[in-house]
Amino acid sequence: MTTAIRRERGLLFEDFEIGQTFEHHWGRTVTASESMTYSNVTMNYNPLYFNVEYARRLGYDGILINPLLVYTTVLGLSVEDLSEAGGPFLGVDNLVFRTPVYDGDTITARSVTLGKRPSGSRPGWGIVEWRTTGLNQRGDEVLGYRRSNLSRMRNAEANR
Amino acid sequence: MPVTSVDNYFEDFRVGDVYDHPRGRTIDNNDNLWITHVTMNTAQAHFNLDYMQHMMDGIFSERLVMGAVTVAMVVGLTSEDMSENAFMDQGLSAIRLSTPVYRDDTLYASSEVLEVRDSDERPDAGVVVYRFTGRKTDGSQVVQGERTLLVKRRSHWAADDGHGNEGRS
Repeated sequence: MTTAIRRERGLLFEDFEIGQTFEHHWGRTVTASESMTYSNVTMNYNPLYFNVEYARRLGYDGILINPLLVYTTVLGLSVEDLSEAGGPFLGVDNLVFRTPVYDGDTITARSVTLGKRPSGSRPGWGIVEWRTTGLNQRGDEVLGYRRSNLSRMRNAEANR
Repeated sequence: MPVTSVDNYFEDFRVGDVYDHPRGRTIDNNDNLWITHVTMNTAQAHFNLDYMQHMMDGIFSERLVMGAVTVAMVVGLTSEDMSENAFMDQGLSAIRLSTPVYRDDTLYASSEVLEVRDSDERPDAGVVVYRFTGRKTDGSQVVQGERTLLVKRRSHWAADDGHGNEGRS
């Protein structure tokens, strides 16, 4: 009988080292259509995000991709490496939107581990902090932020 | 017909002003699922009910609404008052998610203006920083954060935006 191949995804607390870098998988081409839907469903009522005539009148090349969607996409691309095996998201700081994103731009993500420490209140868990950057197809940084997350320790598995 | 309101240009924001945004938003699992999946977020806590019910000794009975969905919904609830006339979103900071959000939770939002200043780059716009707070109906805080915007000045934009006399400051 063959053993099934089961590839567990995600890294645990012990796998993170300060200064290590990640080039995250997949990338994502973003479209104005999905950004308009996202903006409308999240009730984000700035017409820059869903009215092309208005966006052009303000001097933009077209519909701006909602930067919150770009951030959420960069976050999504980083999850398998950083936090899929972890636990709750603790916070985001210094999220800066640097370059407008337009229909058809392709976003990739990379991160560097900034710090790690055991959780004071939750045995078996640690807190890891990363800086994550989103880039477009020309290599321009479109956004960057710092995120911290609870991260499960290997020895915590015995207690599950 | 003006595209945007006349009362939320840069000149209208004052440090210390507090806004109680009138609309609420009941979060559905579809909101959580489509944003989670379209952004390829692979954390199962947001989309695998079976996994979630076994996580951390079974303290959860539902999938967690992804944090960025909660942030987007609360920012959205603030947007008509705070960013309808924004020229661009410059950033967010100090985002803290304090209480888990689940499907059928209804969120409400309030804001406080923290900073109002000229822009170094654009004479036709200024910088507004505000703190947004999202709460459930029982008053528990689900998220807080700071949002930085470049907002159009009425003096430069109201006429182009279709505001006549009411737009003159």
